[in-house]
Amino acid sequence: MRIVQTQERFPLSSVKPLDGLVKYRQQCLTATRDALAGGATIRRTRSLVSGRALESAGAVEGLAYGRCPETGSVFLVELPPPEGWKRLLADVSALRRSRETFHFELAQSRTDNVYAPKLEWIRETLRLQGLRQARALEVLTAPGSFTELLKDSGMFTEVLTADEMELAHGLAAPGQQDTVQAVVLLESLDRVDDPTALLQGVAGRLEEGGLLFVTALVSSGFDMSVLGLRNLYLYPPDRANCFSLQGLSKLLSQEGFTLLEVSTPGVLDVEIVRAHLQRDPTLPLSAFERQLVEANDDMQAAFQAFLQQWGLSSFTRIVARRGTVMA
Amino acid sequence: MNCLIFGYGYMGKLRAQVLRQHPGVRTITIVDPALATAPAGLEARVLPASAPVPWDEFDAAFICTPNNVTADLCVEALRRCGRVFCEKPPGRHWEDFCRIQDAAGSVAGATLVFGFNHRLHPSIEAAKALIGEGGLGDILYIKGTYGKSGGVRYRENWRNKREISGGGILLDQGIHMLDLLHLFLGELTVVDAVLADSFWGCGVEDNAFVLLRSERGVPAFLHSSATLWKHTFRIEIGCRDGYVVATGLLTKSGSYGREQLVIGRRQFEDQALALGNPREEIIHFDRDESWEREVYEFLAAAKEGRPAAHGTLEDARRVMQVIRDVYALEERRLTLRSAR
Repeated sequence: MRIVQTQERFPLSSVKPLDGLVKYRQQCLTATRDALAGGATIRRTRSLVSGRALESAGAVEGLAYGRCPETGSVFLVELPPPEGWKRLLADVSALRRSRETFHFELAQSRTDNVYAPKLEWIRETLRLQGLRQARALEVLTAPGSFTELLKDSGMFTEVLTADEMELAHGLAAPGQQDTVQAVVLLESLDRVDDPTALLQGVAGRLEEGGLLFVTALVSSGFDMSVLGLRNLYLYPPDRANCFSLQGLSKLLSQEGFTLLEVSTPGVLDVEIVRAHLQRDPTLPLSAFERQLVEANDDMQAAFQAFLQQWGLSSFTRIVARRGTVMA
Repeated sequence: MNCLIFGYGYMGKLRAQVLRQHPGVRTITIVDPALATAPAGLEARVLPASAPVPWDEFDAAFICTPNNVTADLCVEALRRCGRVFCEKPPGRHWEDFCRIQDAAGSVAGATLVFGFNHRLHPSIEAAKALIGEGGLGDILYIKGTYGKSGGVRYRENWRNKREISGGGILLDQGIHMLDLLHLFLGELTVVDAVLADSFWGCGVEDNAFVLLRSERGVPAFLHSSATLWKHTFRIEIGCRDGYVVATGLLTKSGSYGREQLVIGRRQFEDQALALGNPREEIIHFDRDESWEREVYEFLAAAKEGRPAAHGTLEDARRVMQVIRDVYALEERRLTLRSAR
């Protein structure tokens, strides 16, 4: 298995500025509450990884999260039924593509700093694994910003898409069952109601030996660990699930995937904590944590590199192979 | 398969461990003069070293012995069994290697693999995938350093006694780096070399500096050493559009450091803020399957009656030819010096 460390540098303001996020986040929270108010709900009482009873992790503006005692992963406790959750994800996805959110204003910058490195990551992994002339499946709630880039990249002979909720719940129409050699899940496991079922759906479409690309925000990373549920980047439905790195790795292994890369190449952990501190100077940080986030640029860069090197950043990317590596 | 291991030292033990995990291996038998009974915890039979080997009982043989008996055993195993995995080096010198080569050539359908596992290390495989059409372009040069510190029992080790080993650190450890240089560059010729027995005084080189050139004119440099007080494995490959630097090796002791590959892309000042300091990516590796993979490949090739994908006779010829030429160059220098 490998861990990749990068020297990518870009400011928080160029990809997901805290001020811009707050408005979008409120819209997401309101939409989630509306979806929950619509009728019956499903209560998740057990960890999606270990099956153990969830402990209370607190709440994000009244929406309770539970923590897996074994892995430290956190999960939104109450969800609407699958059809309601599917509608909610569709609404939020449309919102991200509207002119109302920072995603639209920063479209080019996000392409350069968020999506281009992901394309390069996939391209390099395909080279390392000797996978050529492959067909890929991107699993998402459409519309997504990455699909066209993936198609234009020329890396794959064909790029298919599948709705993440339909794939998780076995609702794909006949004729949409073609198998592929690569599957891309960009933060999809963070937002679907049943990540285990989604991985089982993925396994059904991915050929034995095929590659799975996963990105996610993880609770074990620096800014998530320091800020906990105060982290404004944690909110439903986008982050209904926030696995720890250990939890996500375990989930993938349990579902029959062999991990080839487990990296946390995030570059914004320290800046995210600093942005939260600027917004709320009374945040209960230790003196040591304050020293870290108030340090000069060189020390921050060195600390961020350390987080990357040892799997301690909050942004993770994983490459897994369906099945086992060695015969 | 029923496997026979000659020699139960460090490498013999390692091979036995791998064979135990292989689903196609039925029995393991060991021949080692220092071993009277099966080692604790290992399901294996031990044959007395003096007894004749019942070759008909075995499907594959592993030669994990000191260099002075490698060629004899390898030749016999090729003739009697036909499927042989031989540790590096393939004999003490070129003549030993030629005997093995002749024997392999005289046995139709023989499977012969040499233990050059370094080319299966993850950093090396990743480097190989990225060079050339992988994005970094053609190779401009390679520099390789591989060395260890020796240790308090260094002088007592058979590896440093010329009559047993045939040579010093270049033949023992540098051979792996030479194999990697061939992996990346193909056939190499010796441009110059300097050998020194500068610290250990064993009568074999404890440092070798070798300058090589590929058939396409690409230069390569190797430093193989037994006086690197900090254990070092480092191969630096400069390419037209970038570079890779593989350092560290996943070993049991971890003394060579964390295995990693640095990847940099060429960026001039029109693409980057600072000239000569490109953005790098570092891949850290935490799993080495090279031991398993080379043995599994050997057993698969033996079973299917096909040549193995790596560790071939041709790979062995290339490294032994360079080592022969380096030692000959040094010999000529010594002769000239004493004549003066």
